[in-house]
Amino acid sequence: MIAFACSITKPDQFRRCAEPGIRRAAEADSVRYELPAAGTIARSYNALLDRAAERDDLEALVLLHQDAEIVDADLCAKVRAALSDPDVAVVGCAGALDVRSIAWWEGSVTLASFINRYEDHGGGDLHSFSWTWEDAPPWAHTGEVETLDGFVLALAPWAVRSIRFDESLSRFHGYDLDYCLQVREAGRKVVTADFRAIHHREIEMLPDPEEWIEAHINVAEKWDGRMPGIGTAPGSWRERALRAEAERDAAAAEAHTQVLELEARARELERGLAETRESLSWRLSAPLRWVGRSRTPAGRRTRAPRFAR
Amino acid sequence: MIAFGSTIVDPEAYRRFAAAGIRRAVEPDSVVHSFAAVGNTCRGFNLLLDSVAGHDDLEALVIVDPRTEIAGPGFCAAVREALRDPDVAVAGAAGARDVSTIAWWEGEVSSAPIAHRYYEHGGGEMAGYAWAGPVAPLGEVDSVDGLLMVLSPWAVRTIRFDESLVMGHGYDLDYCLQVREAGRKVVTADLRVTHHRALELLAEPDVWVEGHIKLADKWDGHWPGRSGEPVDWKARARRAEAEREAARTMAYSSTLRVDAEVLALERALAEMTESLSWRVTAPLRGLNRLRRRAS
Repeated sequence: MIAFACSITKPDQFRRCAEPGIRRAAEADSVRYELPAAGTIARSYNALLDRAAERDDLEALVLLHQDAEIVDADLCAKVRAALSDPDVAVVGCAGALDVRSIAWWEGSVTLASFINRYEDHGGGDLHSFSWTWEDAPPWAHTGEVETLDGFVLALAPWAVRSIRFDESLSRFHGYDLDYCLQVREAGRKVVTADFRAIHHREIEMLPDPEEWIEAHINVAEKWDGRMPGIGTAPGSWRERALRAEAERDAAAAEAHTQVLELEARARELERGLAETRESLSWRLSAPLRWVGRSRTPAGRRTRAPRFAR
Repeated sequence: MIAFGSTIVDPEAYRRFAAAGIRRAVEPDSVVHSFAAVGNTCRGFNLLLDSVAGHDDLEALVIVDPRTEIAGPGFCAAVREALRDPDVAVAGAAGARDVSTIAWWEGEVSSAPIAHRYYEHGGGEMAGYAWAGPVAPLGEVDSVDGLLMVLSPWAVRTIRFDESLVMGHGYDLDYCLQVREAGRKVVTADLRVTHHRALELLAEPDVWVEGHIKLADKWDGHWPGRSGEPVDWKARARRAEAEREAARTMAYSSTLRVDAEVLALERALAEMTESLSWRVTAPLRGLNRLRRRAS
């Protein structure tokens, strides 16, 4: 039996995002664990592990965020296939190699089969690189990785019963890397599999940078010396500090550049919109558009967006 | 006498921007020095210092970046006002307090009205350093931006730009740190300019990173106002490495946000220009274009 579990802080979001995906993927005998969050995500997930661990017939536990929507109706078959290797303990749809910190995406990402679906800024989909195999780059492949993105994870019964999420690290961040590191330290494997999900979330990737920074430090401190590459870097502490501060400021300058680019590109497009609206031909053809609008359902009418920059 | 000086890599930029502004600002007795850039930025600036240091009547040297255009009349009066306090050794149009690295804009930014004129995306003008959220009033700062530096005679004759900063990055902050270490003041003042520059803030981030490290290394332990503070290098490294990854992630977010916002505008424009009414009236616009060309 493959179980599905979700820790819920926003019931509406769960109903809109996670629940349809669970219904799509669940089998007739699947058990669903949907519990209100209890403190940190690690603590909430451990409570879900406790529930699932009691089931003797457990084949896998699929843990997903309330804003994650499983796309594949045959997810269970794919999870079973991945877990057919008894050494495999965790499966996901996005993961990376050469991971040095909780910013796992700074490693060599081998699979990212998800869409980031946002509603801010007029809404839209950001397709990750292996959403469709036809468009995937040469480095996209399934298989063993060092860590997975925690928004959808499938855990083997061994993992459910043996490895706990570390409740001391952070309220939300880094729990997925830490779990994968624990699994690998215990000699088991972490793999990606060919299933897909939609992550319904805002474009902003770090709404709480201070909390994320603390998690980054905590994970680095915990794993330095225990797992190669994590928490370590060349040079003395002084050299590392000076380099990281420089690279931090360069990255921040890059973000500032993006803001300026946005301002300039938006102004250019707004000029184009204004010129079009003020042109003689646009004004002359107003009656045609009025007729067109009267034949268009109200919901499909669009207006040029205005952004606060 | 107020002197003006520039070291020039791009003569066309100098002619269009810096020279035009200097012509607007000079007084009858002003001296203007423009030299071809030799070696690194600091070597060129020291040549400017050497060239004006001998003037007994020197009131100030204004070092103008070739892409900086002094904006309005009354500039020399503003320079004199900025240097009225004899302790002031450097004045600039923009700067910041609480500066801890060459990314001075990460401090509390103080800026005169500066226009940033850019030439990408059809060109345009925006408020300079608006992205850095300038909130501090004009006055004493830790460092000024090298786009325009006003040096007092004391500074010209006493403090040199550090030519060991081979990459040139951070020469402005380094000069201000030297000035402050010597007990003098650095200020921002109402020195109005237009900066003609690309949108991109760091053209060569890797080189800039090396410059950042070199300057931090140079001033470690005797940064004015912070000397003697104990440093826990391990904690500082851990924090900086985390902040670096956070900054990179936020830069990705910015990229995604830019793409999403621009995409929405592009959609709106496409909807207008792909509409039936727009296509029906295409011949009209064609005729209009011909008419404009003919006239």
